[in-house]
Amino acid sequence: MQAQTRSRSNVWLNKVPEVTLSFWIIKIMSTTVGETGADFLAVDVGWGQGITCTVIFGLLAAALSTQLRTRRYTPWIYWLTVVLISIVGTQITDLLTDGLKVSLFVSTAIFAVALAAIFFVWHWIERTLSIREIVTRRRELFYWSAVLCTFALGTAAGDLATEALGLGFAWGVVWFGLMIALVFVVWRLRGHAVAAFWIAYILTRPFGAALGDHVTQARMYGGLGMGAMWTSALFLSVIVLLVTAAQLGMRTSHPAQSLD
Amino acid sequence: MEIKHMKARTLVTVSVALLLAGLAGCSKSANDGAGKPGASPAQTAAQPGTGTKLGDLTQFRAIANDVSALVDKGDLAAAKTRIKDLEVAWDSAEAGLKPRDVADWHTLDEAIDKALAALRADKPNQADCKAAMAYLLQIFDALRNKA
Repeated sequence: MQAQTRSRSNVWLNKVPEVTLSFWIIKIMSTTVGETGADFLAVDVGWGQGITCTVIFGLLAAALSTQLRTRRYTPWIYWLTVVLISIVGTQITDLLTDGLKVSLFVSTAIFAVALAAIFFVWHWIERTLSIREIVTRRRELFYWSAVLCTFALGTAAGDLATEALGLGFAWGVVWFGLMIALVFVVWRLRGHAVAAFWIAYILTRPFGAALGDHVTQARMYGGLGMGAMWTSALFLSVIVLLVTAAQLGMRTSHPAQSLD
Repeated sequence: MEIKHMKARTLVTVSVALLLAGLAGCSKSANDGAGKPGASPAQTAAQPGTGTKLGDLTQFRAIANDVSALVDKGDLAAAKTRIKDLEVAWDSAEAGLKPRDVADWHTLDEAIDKALAALRADKPNQADCKAAMAYLLQIFDALRNKA
């Protein structure tokens, strides 16, 4: 909260949320909702990949331009953008894999290099990768490019784990969960906070997908058999609840910020 | 005020986590909701005759059979409608089936894609649809014999 209570008239306030438990719960669940939501539109509604892609891309453009025009972190716009980026990031990987038949080894490597390049340029120009000071348009654009890339990388790496290692969702939850726990421990032991954040951001993509599959898949496949629709509805309600809490919290705890 | 608010937010977060944990636990003992006939679908994979490396594929094969029969009758419109059930069922089971045998999953997935493409062509032609369905059914049998 420090970044937000600092008074900066004429300058943007930090545009992105503080990283809390609630942040990660929303982030993980938005992965599931993003994936099942896009599948639902493409297959069940029958729009096909083409129309679904176009619609989601249009929505993302609208959400992102709204997000870029705000002067400070606004929970519902921020999280709407994340959910849509999650879908688009997933679709980019799916398009490369299914449409262009690019090997998952290749796409995982490409996204990893692209993400490294984004961080390199970001750090080179801004001299920081801090996510507590996303206070300029340029920094925010770096932030969202990195986010898009982590979702594409997380999708490719997660699919690669299934394809190459035959890693099912049950073990996926365990392994990706353990890796996240490891990152958490390293961070608590005074590891690099920004690096820990972005590694966790990548890992929570396949973790969220595996968790979603675990709840969605039929019991004969070892899932909880809740089905994609109910799982999405449940996760979406949790997201709405937490984002609403954050939105209301913004109003009550920072009344002085309407000055600018 | 600030502290009170933080507490409230933590409370919401924790209760959501508990709710989800409880839900995951409960739904394990609840019925699977899929309305499957037969008492124990999980065990059928072990029976001879129905098993493949991907497990029991009879529900998918049954739909493919229906589609094939409709194609033989020349009712391509009805076949196109029915094959969507296969697409939806196959798609939603991907996360469960694929890790069991990635190669077999891709073989079957491609055969299903071919059948979908034939039936969804601008001007579907019975001979193409017939060939695609025959190929698909043949793949189902090949996977079963392989196991």
